[in-house]
Amino acid sequence: MKNKAVFINGKRKYIFCGDEQGLKLLSNVLEKGKEEGLTYDRYLLSDLKMTLLQDFLKSQKMGTFVYLAIPFLVLQQFRKALEDIGYLEEDVQYIGYGERKIPVFCCRCHEINMSNQEQNRLFCNRCSLELEVSDHYSAMHNAFLGYVAKL
Amino acid sequence: MKWTGDLAHFPYPFKDSTYRYSNNSIPMKQPFCIEVTPSYKKEMLLKRKLLSDHPERCYQSLPHSITGQWEIVELLIDHLISQYPQHFSVEKENNSWIFFNKILDEKVEFIFGDENSLSCEPLFFISHHVQEDLIYMRQRDDDLYLDAGQLCFPANWSLAFNIGMKFKNIHHPIPGFKEEGLDQRILQFLMRLEAGTPWERLNWSLMAGDRLDTSLETFDQWGKLRKHVTRENAGELVHIRVEVQKLFRLPRTNSILFSIHTHLLSLEQLSTNREWLQQFYEILSELHAHIVEYKGISHYKASLMHYLEEQLERVKAT
Ligand code: HEM
Ligand SMILES: [Zn+2]
Repeated sequence: MKNKAVFINGKRKYIFCGDEQGLKLLSNVLEKGKEEGLTYDRYLLSDLKMTLLQDFLKSQKMGTFVYLAIPFLVLQQFRKALEDIGYLEEDVQYIGYGERKIPVFCCRCHEINMSNQEQNRLFCNRCSLELEVSDHYSAMHNAFLGYVAKL
Repeated sequence: MKWTGDLAHFPYPFKDSTYRYSNNSIPMKQPFCIEVTPSYKKEMLLKRKLLSDHPERCYQSLPHSITGQWEIVELLIDHLISQYPQHFSVEKENNSWIFFNKILDEKVEFIFGDENSLSCEPLFFISHHVQEDLIYMRQRDDDLYLDAGQLCFPANWSLAFNIGMKFKNIHHPIPGFKEEGLDQRILQFLMRLEAGTPWERLNWSLMAGDRLDTSLETFDQWGKLRKHVTRENAGELVHIRVEVQKLFRLPRTNSILFSIHTHLLSLEQLSTNREWLQQFYEILSELHAHIVEYKGISHYKASLMHYLEEQLERVKAT
């Protein structure tokens, strides 16, 4: 996860994708791509509709490189969705903006807490249990599972 | 209250003296997805209390799972009456069913397929009559989704968190599962599962204590016992927890019923069988560190090994 796009040369095709704010963040790499005369598509992700984007990306050929710029809050969700349709870590550059918080599901009371990305532990707002943030993710809750931090 | 089962019926899970994660499913000899054991009454009491006290923790369903839920009701009642006709029966007239549970002396009338004829969802209703936990996996877009489930005796996972999740995602916390490609292979296997050819597998873990309801939601309470295991009390305190898991294709909704029947046995009881004791000791000695950690044994593995060594010496001396 980055907060600034970095240009990667030599791909077969590029897709610059983001919501309105996100596409602005991609303007420098997009310009660079134009200069180099590369094949590319620009994709405006209105309303952050994941399934439409999935369909669009599914129809692309192998060797396509994706820049995806969206709010940090929904970034994980999109990463999973892209992985599900076969876009690996090396095929995509994720650029986040806005509040850098991640939702954490309390294993004891099911409350979804917002945690700073940097902190690995937090106390649940509702039941006060100390939670350790894991990378187990639920798309339905759009949250990561927080396990009991210490016994 | 002791929940430990009896030795003769215990589904001892090991074949070899090493243990690796693998697809250890086998076709079932007797195609019944439920089993009524001597602790039926005791467990049904506990299960019903959990379902009523903690419905969100023990029961989850998505709206489009209702048709599949009815399919589960039909399958389970069918299996109950053919396997245990002395305990269960059903009278059907068109879609009007009367189900009799003679162990609990209960009678339930409903219109099959009509949700309003029951006071709860179909899966919730049938859950009150079987010891198994019941998970409904719906197949769509070449994947399996956890669309409904009743889970009172989980081995430290949360149904509320996992609802709606895909098969591979559910198994994400297991170390090495994805890296070894096991999740993909097992998913492929499941998607080829055919109606009329059910499969079963055994899963095992160890726990300190003898609770059946080891939910992730209550881990902060029961997990603490892990710190109290000593070589002196390990035999009584530590239990091997075996899940008999069964997989049935539900043909009408092209989904899968995954049933889980949990059995507990104290290590003291396990050690009374010489071969089991020896084999179990060998397995634990050799078990990979990441599996030891995942199964929650790390805290007390040393005490446990001491205990087993003492038992082995005792056996050799006799
Ligand atoms: C289709 C229904 C299935 C469901 C709903 C399911 C669900 C689960 C869940 C919730 C866990 C615990 C994960 C956690 O720590 O959060 C788990 C663990 C596991 N599952 Fe599955 N599973 C299914 C089928 C299978 C099958 C068919 C296999 C193998 C053939 C399998 C192999 C395993 C293994 C090896 C573990 C780790 C258990 C341990 O080490 O104690 N599962 N499963
Ligand atoms: Zn909480």
